[in-house]
Amino acid sequence: MDSGARDGELPQIVRVLFPAFGAPPLGMLLTGSIRALARRQPRLFDRLGAHRSATFFIDPTDLAFAFTVVPDGEKTLVRVVGKAATATADVVIRGPILMLLGLLDGSLDGDALFFHRIISVSGRTEAVVALRNAIEEAELRPADLLGIHGALARFADATILGGLSAARRLTARGSRPAVRGS
Amino acid sequence: MVAGRMELVCPAGTPSTLRAAVTAGADAVYCGFNNETNARNFPGLNFSPEELAEGVRFAHDHGKKVLVAINTFAQPGRVDLWRKAADDAAECGADAVIAADLAVLDHVAANHKGLRLHLSVQAAAATPEAINFYAQRFGVRRVVLPRVLSVQEIVALNRAIEVETEAFVFGGLCVMVEGRCYLSSYATGKSPNLNGVCSPPENVSYDEDSRGTTARLSGFTIDRYSPDQPTGYPTLCKGRFTAGGTTSYLFEDPVSLNAGSLLAGFKAAGVTALKIEGRQRGKGYVTEVVRAFRRAVDAVEAGGEAVEIDRILAEMSEGGRQTAGAYKKIWR
Repeated sequence: MDSGARDGELPQIVRVLFPAFGAPPLGMLLTGSIRALARRQPRLFDRLGAHRSATFFIDPTDLAFAFTVVPDGEKTLVRVVGKAATATADVVIRGPILMLLGLLDGSLDGDALFFHRIISVSGRTEAVVALRNAIEEAELRPADLLGIHGALARFADATILGGLSAARRLTARGSRPAVRGS
Repeated sequence: MVAGRMELVCPAGTPSTLRAAVTAGADAVYCGFNNETNARNFPGLNFSPEELAEGVRFAHDHGKKVLVAINTFAQPGRVDLWRKAADDAAECGADAVIAADLAVLDHVAANHKGLRLHLSVQAAAATPEAINFYAQRFGVRRVVLPRVLSVQEIVALNRAIEVETEAFVFGGLCVMVEGRCYLSSYATGKSPNLNGVCSPPENVSYDEDSRGTTARLSGFTIDRYSPDQPTGYPTLCKGRFTAGGTTSYLFEDPVSLNAGSLLAGFKAAGVTALKIEGRQRGKGYVTEVVRAFRRAVDAVEAGGEAVEIDRILAEMSEGGRQTAGAYKKIWR
């Protein structure tokens, strides 16, 4: 099946389900969720050190929009932006949305994705390294970002993580990273 | 030295990775404090004393050990930072300190007599004379072997020493003599031995254009990758340079160590512990590598052949290329 996808990207048929440009409420929702997370677990952001005021441009290459994130604890700011809005970014991270989500929950190895060109990174490398390590330690679950708790959180985590895992298996479809001879 | 069951020693850069390593089958986990006292001093990485204490409790609850790397070289006028790290490791209940600096070894030997000392690979001790000196002078119980020895040389070495030996089996591979490499400092002013970081990330940049990716260190181009090539972290020793009209990896190909096929040889050589490199890598990497080596070590300990792990782990390696390194000196 030619899905129009490469390297773990969403098939074209799925991409049409997303709006051409993320609605502003998505940025507000994520901003509120991460600020709430910072109130519950302020130490999560300690590993970012001085880089918590950096602007990260995160571009899901299989979606029509991108995000800018300033991960400054209770002052965190997430904006949904266009693909070209990199002028003020300290760091640019690009990759398929399922891979980026896999980095959030720690189920995928960011270095391996980077070495094999599934994701790309440019800008202030030390800020990327600090963010990677902070996220690794945070062990974020979908419920953390959605700001929900209890049984509903467990249900959301199981459903979303199960769905992501299945989606990655479907999109892998022979697009394993190129590996040079050993 | 006759070894019992080989111990699998695994890396942890964060508390969550420590838990992942233990869960995946590590016998021991090594980690460091979030300062210049350990050779993986990267932003956002490593442990506070409180996090280490929690990590030790978690490991001990699972019957596993925690080894603390205080393996950089103390700087004049700042030795207290290294002494404090050793004191904190002891206070946290660590099972051993991994050190190379004479001042650190002496401090632990004099002040924490119940704490095991492991000689770091940074000490580059590869002869019975050097190892026995550390053992006799500081009571070192284990030496992490420099990655310059063949398996046959390890056999001979183990016959001549009384301390345990630990051999790297997977991960990044340095071409330079460990503990003596200052290559990074020529471009960045910082080296792994003194500052705990080779190619510090604040000096690293990746620049993309239509031809691919250029990796730079302090503005120096270290390598260029076409869009379909695996990338690597830009260290000078693994850079691709043009000299004499030829472009090549002048010092070392960007390959990673994988000695998974030699585990039975290590067992026969009397190696006590097998070490996986990669405290700067994430939980996904640690989990997959530790699981693969757990299966392989168990198979060897049960008298069977090591399971085929090269293929499983190829994609986890920087550059996607692997080598058995000096363990198989086939160029001889």
